[in-house]
Amino acid sequence: MIRVVSMPRFFRRSFFKDIFNKLLGKNKILKIGFYGHPNSGKTTLANRMTNDWIGKPIGLVSQIPHETRRVYRQEHVALKHDGVELNFDIIDTPGIATKIDYTNFLEFGLSETEAKERAKEATKGIIEAIKWLDDVTGVLLVIDSTEDPLTQANITIMGNLEARKIPFIIVANKIDLPNAEPDKIFSVFPQHTVISISALEGDNMGELYQKMVERFR
Amino acid sequence: MDADTKSLKMDFLSSSALNSHTSMEKVSMIVDRVKNGDLIVIEGGLSPEEEAELIETTMREIDVENFMGIDIYTLEKDKTSFFGLSRKKTVGITIIGPANVMKEVKKKSNFLTMIANLGDSDAPMH
Repeated sequence: MIRVVSMPRFFRRSFFKDIFNKLLGKNKILKIGFYGHPNSGKTTLANRMTNDWIGKPIGLVSQIPHETRRVYRQEHVALKHDGVELNFDIIDTPGIATKIDYTNFLEFGLSETEAKERAKEATKGIIEAIKWLDDVTGVLLVIDSTEDPLTQANITIMGNLEARKIPFIIVANKIDLPNAEPDKIFSVFPQHTVISISALEGDNMGELYQKMVERFR
Repeated sequence: MDADTKSLKMDFLSSSALNSHTSMEKVSMIVDRVKNGDLIVIEGGLSPEEEAELIETTMREIDVENFMGIDIYTLEKDKTSFFGLSRKKTVGITIIGPANVMKEVKKKSNFLTMIANLGDSDAPMH
């Protein structure tokens, strides 16, 4: 006698959903990279998001440029907005620059040896950040609203994302500062999605989360 | 750059001269010259992938005491489509030089001023 065991409804639904997602290519893990200049606030933003959604920070923040000198990854962040859930990994990358002058670190009280070591580590971090462009599925390009947005590093990052067809959002950060000019970022990149926020104060994070769900899911 | 005579060597490269090389050859040629203290002016620009490769190669070549990296600036021009229906920006010229030499660059939409640092004396170039 053959005994037929039917699959419980929940597992059936899950089974078909998995097949459906695989067919649509939706089963890939979303990896959202945080890119931008040194000190643009990438780690502050990553910390704000991981604190909001999983209750712990991802990395250290400091006033000294190139504080993040290796890639930090936080897996399984679940962002919920308007009934939609976005599951992704956060990839916090070192700031991308075309030059590193160790003497700049001396102004922050580092010894010459420490400053040189930091500069060497920063070069490796930038290489690692560029390599990660091949692996991310979406990017938050973080720009300091108090600085000139039209820099070679920003242009290079955007050009590479467009060439690789990776969706990205420009995050005009630090709008809490009195000299912030987020409008400048909107005006120089009119063809791209720009959201102005303060990662430090948590201003306008809801709009950013909404846009992330729209662009990255 | 010649440290003794405080002179600056500038190389002007046409797009056809550059495009006869592979991306890797272009990048290593640029980095070699810039590391030597020269300033390069390129007709047109590099592709985004070449720019990323240029930054990556520069980072590998940085020697914290003698070579701190590069500065890149581009001047864009409007390019109109065949029927004149659309207009987009393309890179007209690209200037790449050692970061310690390109002391100050002021850029407007169609005008760029660079002040080069030649050791103890500054030589303005427009």
